[in-house]
Amino acid sequence: MSRGATVPRQDVETLAVERPQWREACRRELDDGGRFCGAHASGHTGDRRWQALFARGSGTRALIVELDGDQLETIVDMVPAAQWDEREAHDLHGLRFEGHDPLRPLLDHSLDPSSWTVPVEGRGVHQVVVGPIHAGVIESGHFRFHVVGERILHLDPRLFYNHRGLERAAEGLELSDGLALAQRACGACAVTNAVAYAQACESVLGLLASRELRRARTLLLELERLYNHLNDIAAICAGVGFATGNMAFAALKERAMRLNQDLTGHRFLFGSVEVGANRLLLSGQASQRTREQLLELRQDAARLWREVRFSASVQARLDGVGVLDRATAAQLGAVGPAGRASGLGQDTRSDSPALWYGSSFVAAAPAETTGDIAARLEMRAVELEVTFELLDDLLPEPIEADAASPCGPKGSIGVARVESPRGETVCVVEHEAHLLRRLRLRTGSYANWPALVQATAGNLLSDFPLINKSFELCYACVDR
Amino acid sequence: MFVLLRHLQRVRREAALPPRRGARSLAIRHVDAGSCNACEHELTATAAPQYDLQRFGLDIVASPRHADVLLVTGPVTKRMEAALLAAYEAMPEPRRVAALGDCALGCGVLGTATELATPLEKLLPVDIRIPGCPPTPQTIADAILSGSAASSFLAPMGDRMLEAFS
Repeated sequence: MSRGATVPRQDVETLAVERPQWREACRRELDDGGRFCGAHASGHTGDRRWQALFARGSGTRALIVELDGDQLETIVDMVPAAQWDEREAHDLHGLRFEGHDPLRPLLDHSLDPSSWTVPVEGRGVHQVVVGPIHAGVIESGHFRFHVVGERILHLDPRLFYNHRGLERAAEGLELSDGLALAQRACGACAVTNAVAYAQACESVLGLLASRELRRARTLLLELERLYNHLNDIAAICAGVGFATGNMAFAALKERAMRLNQDLTGHRFLFGSVEVGANRLLLSGQASQRTREQLLELRQDAARLWREVRFSASVQARLDGVGVLDRATAAQLGAVGPAGRASGLGQDTRSDSPALWYGSSFVAAAPAETTGDIAARLEMRAVELEVTFELLDDLLPEPIEADAASPCGPKGSIGVARVESPRGETVCVVEHEAHLLRRLRLRTGSYANWPALVQATAGNLLSDFPLINKSFELCYACVDR
Repeated sequence: MFVLLRHLQRVRREAALPPRRGARSLAIRHVDAGSCNACEHELTATAAPQYDLQRFGLDIVASPRHADVLLVTGPVTKRMEAALLAAYEAMPEPRRVAALGDCALGCGVLGTATELATPLEKLLPVDIRIPGCPPTPQTIADAILSGSAASSFLAPMGDRMLEAFS
């Protein structure tokens, strides 16, 4: 599909499943090439529904099962990636999953550690406990490392300290008012979350993203990726104690942030996305100026990256550490740069007809998909090149005001999948009489936390901060 | 390495930061009590060469035991309340509390009431208020370095230290 062509809206196909056939229906979906991308409960006691989403090309299929009680058969044995979704539904909506045993609490912090940690026993095994407050400026989260000496046998993370109930706060709001909550779920993924929300709403309302809308959103998404990737490279340098690399990339990130400010009036691009319309306007002069600044930034980033890449003492800390192998990554549904560094080719930008990537988009990959910290770091650098290229491609033309146009009937459920700097973010909007009935935001970070846990096992405790930074997952948009 | 150092030297020259005044320092302990991470990004950015708050004696320290200021971000979630109070309790006197960002000041996009604890202002004595969603690194730097925040706090501390050493 070429970029200028009229595109079908990113759509969702719903399939009602009877309770006894639930597992079989999910199995068929997987056999059919569907990729699991989230599951959530909606409705209230007595009118409860559970649905699992499967990505199929640019579309999404939602398997919906009506529950008469609060019990359902689990699918974690065939879809390990659904583990957190089921645990969340248990804690927030009281669902019980037969066969998911033990169903450890995820959001419920009232229980003692033995209820949510995996028992690890043996000679010399002890626990190292950190958080929720960490030594640096880091989001809140609690980790229990089961170690022998310095070696990590297993990690039990407990997140959701930043759970603000954003999804519940959105229920009953007008569609346009829910945007603020989706956007503020996470500062560093604000554009992705807002675009995913806007697209899900447009899918519900039967609206088709216009050319300018697609261009504006793609520009914003890539600007978000730009500052995030620069930040991540700086963070990994900080993780190995390479202060010059850290400061040099922090300075580059600051330049990207100032560019965002100039372009949209906000350093994190807040408020630049709207449901059904384009809020970002760009004059020819402004876009030319931005293009020149980006070119300069690109040259500096490439030059400084070479210095980091060929610094032997930095690389020595990264090679072979925190390995996430391809099979595990696939099984746990890893997404984004972390998944691609392990050899999964998936990048939602390839299947985003409601954005400006088009069929010519090719996801970047590191030279060797070793799945270690080195590969995840290199992923950021090679993706930066693609991002600079995309931005350069988008900027020559000014961006004008435009609105989405009606293209089909209104629906009751809308789903959008958008690639954030950390991976695929899935937003589901359910809607009744112009009001939000349910909002679910399953971000790239949410999908990747179980993979991070796996990548930690077998490594040294002192390498954990570095492994953590190589994934650089958000806590805020997981916790919501 | 030389390329990196040369680059940093250039950034530094361009930033043209003012010379630091006097030999005072302030140790800050940050606690994320439900922030969206934007405040954290901006707080981290104050260490970038363009702002370099460390140059002015401001340091983010690893333990509340070493801190003069508790810098809080986020609307204070129920799940973070106990940890926040424990961090405050662990700080030696004199201590100050700074609210960073609109959420901590109780005027941001907050969430569901049942998931949130009491607003920070009612939980701890807030001395320094830094508004913004998020406040820019410059705003943070100005607020912490300005008369209202740092000097009034640092001056008596400095005097006390002089007394201690005299």
